[in-house]
Amino acid sequence: MAGERMNALTLNRRGGRARNSPDAGGAAPEAESRRERVQVLLARIIAGLALLVIWQVCAVTFAPSYIARPIGILAQIPSVVGSEQFLSATGSTLLAVIEGLAIAIVLGTAAGLVMGRLRDIDRALRLYVDSFYAMPIVALVPLLTVWFGYSPTARLVVVVMEAVLPVAFSVAEGGRTLATEFTDVARAYRAPWWRVWLGIALPASMPYLLSGVDLAIGRALVGAVVAEFIASLNGLGYFILFNVRSFHEDAAMVALIVLVVFALVLRGLVTLTVRRALPWYRAR
Amino acid sequence: MTDPAGSTAGPAGAPLIRVDRLTKTYGPRTVLSDVTFDVGPSEIVSIVGPSGCGKTTLLRCIAGLTAPNGGTVSISGRTVTEPPEGVGVVFQHFGLFPWKTVFGNVAFGLTVLGMERREAARRVHELIAMVGLDGFENSYPYQLSGGMQQRAGLARALAIDPTVLVMDEPFASLDAQTRDLLQLEMLRILEHRPAATIFVTHSIDEAVLMGDRIVILAGRPSHVADIVDVGIPHPRGREAVDSERFRVVRDYLWSVVMKDQAVPGTTRDRGDSESADRHHERTGE
Repeated sequence: MAGERMNALTLNRRGGRARNSPDAGGAAPEAESRRERVQVLLARIIAGLALLVIWQVCAVTFAPSYIARPIGILAQIPSVVGSEQFLSATGSTLLAVIEGLAIAIVLGTAAGLVMGRLRDIDRALRLYVDSFYAMPIVALVPLLTVWFGYSPTARLVVVVMEAVLPVAFSVAEGGRTLATEFTDVARAYRAPWWRVWLGIALPASMPYLLSGVDLAIGRALVGAVVAEFIASLNGLGYFILFNVRSFHEDAAMVALIVLVVFALVLRGLVTLTVRRALPWYRAR
Repeated sequence: MTDPAGSTAGPAGAPLIRVDRLTKTYGPRTVLSDVTFDVGPSEIVSIVGPSGCGKTTLLRCIAGLTAPNGGTVSISGRTVTEPPEGVGVVFQHFGLFPWKTVFGNVAFGLTVLGMERREAARRVHELIAMVGLDGFENSYPYQLSGGMQQRAGLARALAIDPTVLVMDEPFASLDAQTRDLLQLEMLRILEHRPAATIFVTHSIDEAVLMGDRIVILAGRPSHVADIVDVGIPHPRGREAVDSERFRVVRDYLWSVVMKDQAVPGTTRDRGDSESADRHHERTGE
């Protein structure tokens, strides 16, 4: 249930963004849309700087000296980014997240299509998949470290479990709501079942798949970081934990920024994919 | 069969499609009752009736998309239980796949048939040209107007070289001008490559212009109120609608439709049984 609601929201949000984006209108002249874009960019920069200033002032005025502040973080960036420990942690976490997302997309799409197209299977399994989705998967991490050892495998399993559910839920929703106008055409022209699944249900579910991936990215990062916390695995999560415990908050903050930027880049890729690969969806 | 002006045109050759005492119910509601008619191998039969009278249901039964509760549909002597081979379907909503280009959509039926790629491409290009979509092969449906989308829908149906063509109000969602244009183009195409064609419409004028014969559905549940020979010679052009014959047939259709509308006025149940009785008298069953 929760999954459905979230999917609808993200789909709406994307639809809304597409409609409001300057290059989708067509009616607005080129120059005006560019000016608007510059205005948005300026507003963002000003707001960001204002937040940093407030943080800096508050930290200096009220907080003990070991609390991280923007200027300290900025000063730390070159030495942290250059350190081998940081680079290895970054590579380890990001690769695990990408690998986990890739596995989750394949498994989730397959599971979603099965649930979306085969009503009996959906009815039998729905309750359990719902429960699995509602469960905080981080609570499973201690168990998983026993089953898979304090290893990158355990982290990968956590990432996949976190990411696979929103993907499967979204694709299932897409499969369930597949318009009968499409299935009628397929039947009238005598398409076999596998062509209906791969040639019609799958492409029709692509917008749902991508909105599921959008949700999965955040969950995958949570899974990776928590697994590193608990299993003390090399990665950005453990890098943060280690540095905070040794009072190097500035260094921890740099790692945090990398995680945020990575999440934004991945979600940007999803938006870009929708624009480039699904022009028909954006135009609807 | 009724002929409003005494012409003798009948179905050309032995019937290819035979609809025999077809009945369809949805739950307690009977939509189609005892519908019987047939269609010759190169004949165009219009099916006309008010919205909600079960025209689309009838068409879906013929295309094998919906199973009837009673009676049968047979095509070339074989009873239809699933969508049969060689039947091209044109939908009111076009039914184009939005993620496929015009080329991909038109090729759909041929791809399913497993036709060799180059041969299929040649055929698709030919049909795209025939329906006037030259240069739009790589466009997506959302980039086309409604009329152009339905042209692609037509090309897809014709691509499989159908012996039977079923069209469900194909021009109903188009603007009047586009509709007029496509009606005449459709007639021209069917003169070049004939098929047993079922053309469902709620427009009486369109039924007369397109059809060699017209099946009038009326009443609740719908039954065949009459089958009318149009008797306007082919090739038909725009001038067909100005002919005396067109006017006579159209007026006759209106009179049948109005008469049937008037019957269930007093009580619904009586109206239903009455119209059913009249049908039995007329068909002699």
